[in-house]
Amino acid sequence: MKTAVNQKLIETGERERLRELLRTRLIECGWKDQMKAYCKDIVKEKGVENVTVDDLVAEITPKGRALVPDAVKRELLQRIRTFLAQQTKI
Amino acid sequence: MSVHGCAHLASFKSAKGTQSYRVLHAYFIAGITEEARKKKAQTCFCHTCCRHTSRLHACLYCVYFGCYDGKHIREHALSKKHNLAVDISYGTVFCFSCGDYVYDKELEAIAKRHRRKAAKLNGIKEQYYEWEPTNFELDLLRRNPRRKRISDNSYIGLRGLINLGNTCFMNCIVQALMHTPLLRDYFLADRNVCHFQDDPSMCLVCEMSQLFQEFYSGKSTPHIPFRLLHLVWTHARHLAGYEQQDAHEFFIATLDVLHRHCKGTNGLSSSNPHHCNCIVDQIFTGGLQSDVVCQACRGVSTTIDPFWDISLDLGPSLHLQSSTSGPNSTESMGNDIGLNEDMEPTSLLDCLERFTRPEHLGSSAKIKCNGCQSYQESTKQLTMKKLPVVASFHLKRFEHSTRFHKKISTFISFPQYLDMTPFMSSRRGKSSNSSRASDNGYTNSVSIADNKYCLFAVVNHIGTIETGHYTAYIRQHRDQWFKCDDHLITRATVQDVLDSEGYLLFYHKQILEYE
Repeated sequence: MKTAVNQKLIETGERERLRELLRTRLIECGWKDQMKAYCKDIVKEKGVENVTVDDLVAEITPKGRALVPDAVKRELLQRIRTFLAQQTKI
Repeated sequence: MSVHGCAHLASFKSAKGTQSYRVLHAYFIAGITEEARKKKAQTCFCHTCCRHTSRLHACLYCVYFGCYDGKHIREHALSKKHNLAVDISYGTVFCFSCGDYVYDKELEAIAKRHRRKAAKLNGIKEQYYEWEPTNFELDLLRRNPRRKRISDNSYIGLRGLINLGNTCFMNCIVQALMHTPLLRDYFLADRNVCHFQDDPSMCLVCEMSQLFQEFYSGKSTPHIPFRLLHLVWTHARHLAGYEQQDAHEFFIATLDVLHRHCKGTNGLSSSNPHHCNCIVDQIFTGGLQSDVVCQACRGVSTTIDPFWDISLDLGPSLHLQSSTSGPNSTESMGNDIGLNEDMEPTSLLDCLERFTRPEHLGSSAKIKCNGCQSYQESTKQLTMKKLPVVASFHLKRFEHSTRFHKKISTFISFPQYLDMTPFMSSRRGKSSNSSRASDNGYTNSVSIADNKYCLFAVVNHIGTIETGHYTAYIRQHRDQWFKCDDHLITRATVQDVLDSEGYLLFYHKQILEYE
């Protein structure tokens, strides 16, 4: 089921549209700036030479997930539901 | 993460070129054709554990996809000595010898080209790219090393304006314009072009640009706007002289002169109803839809007109409204909010509700109907077809009729955040009936997010219709409000602003769409 949905999303280009919407929303609500500032702090603390993307990902992921506004999650979920409803109709 | 790529990627590129990256990116990362998208949908899963999530990477040496979280791509890299892999989601290259992602200008350029193509295919209008300075801009930055940092308690952008003799009507509008975010960004970014080659001193656009420089220079002494006044007198003759003038009239006249001096290209690449791409129209122009419904054949004739501001009636309703006379469309009109016919509006929302309500034109104003080719009574309804970036509302406090001239000083409440969704053409009147079923669905949540406005300036009038004084509240930056009374600037709270007797209200759209 999960695989089928994922395939449908990619095939139709809907996945990219959702991604773009999410990107826009996260910029609008300041999430991106918050995360950027947080990453900068980590890099400053550890030094540019001693930090890898993996280190950053490990540190910011919990915070990043928590900071996504509920309204954004709801909107995305609603979009996916609508998309799936349309797909089954056809 | 190394800024200059890494030796492993460099040697890979010199041996095999960028072809494998190019193909991988076109098919499995960007998906630049429908066929590519199909391939991507079918084949993008980990070849070891068959999952399609958890940060899939593709080997740059052979056809192998593996997940990063499950470490299958790492196992592949170590066992086959294929030390480079591409992240399927972002197109970045991971080097297992370095243990991190590496930047590469050449590959990034390919990725960017593919992303643009894919965006077009997917119907995504224009993607957001962060600003990257050009060589010219880099040079400018190097030659001007002084940077101004703006802190929360900075007074930048705040400057009093000397009253030159009953010119408070001008000062309050200038304050509002100087603090219109998008207009400020336009002028401070030097985007304006002068069309008065022979005599730039006559150009109002140049004067605005000069004013922005004055306001954001950091000076704190009041500015003397004599040049602006002179230009206004020259270009809008009806405002010349030392009499008291109406701030609203000045606002519209200013936009008009600015629009004429901008000389936007008509009809080109513009979505606003004025079909002009000058900065004034890009920011202030919206489209008002007028639907006239014939009472005999129910035929609708629709026109769309551009507007720069919305003038809203106060006081008791003078017209017979259709909800008392309309035969069958009453449920959809006005009643949702439950506004009584005879009640005077007490809030901006009341005013807007009344503005967008169907109005019965009466038996004395019969219009020839295109549907049934006869003169019939009809109803007319105004709705917002296209919202402007800056929504300006004019509360008609000055009443001029044949019998009397008076000022309406009723308190009209207005919100700090305004949602225009209920007043859109797509939601009001007829169409709202058909779309009601899906109202609580997804269309609703999206459109609401896109029609939200935030208050950034209010012009107030104190006094009577004959004599009075204009002041303005402006938002300097987020939640920092100031009262501008000619040369005096004092700090204010949001509550001060919301409690004031507003005359002109300026709202800025919160979410801007790319065109």
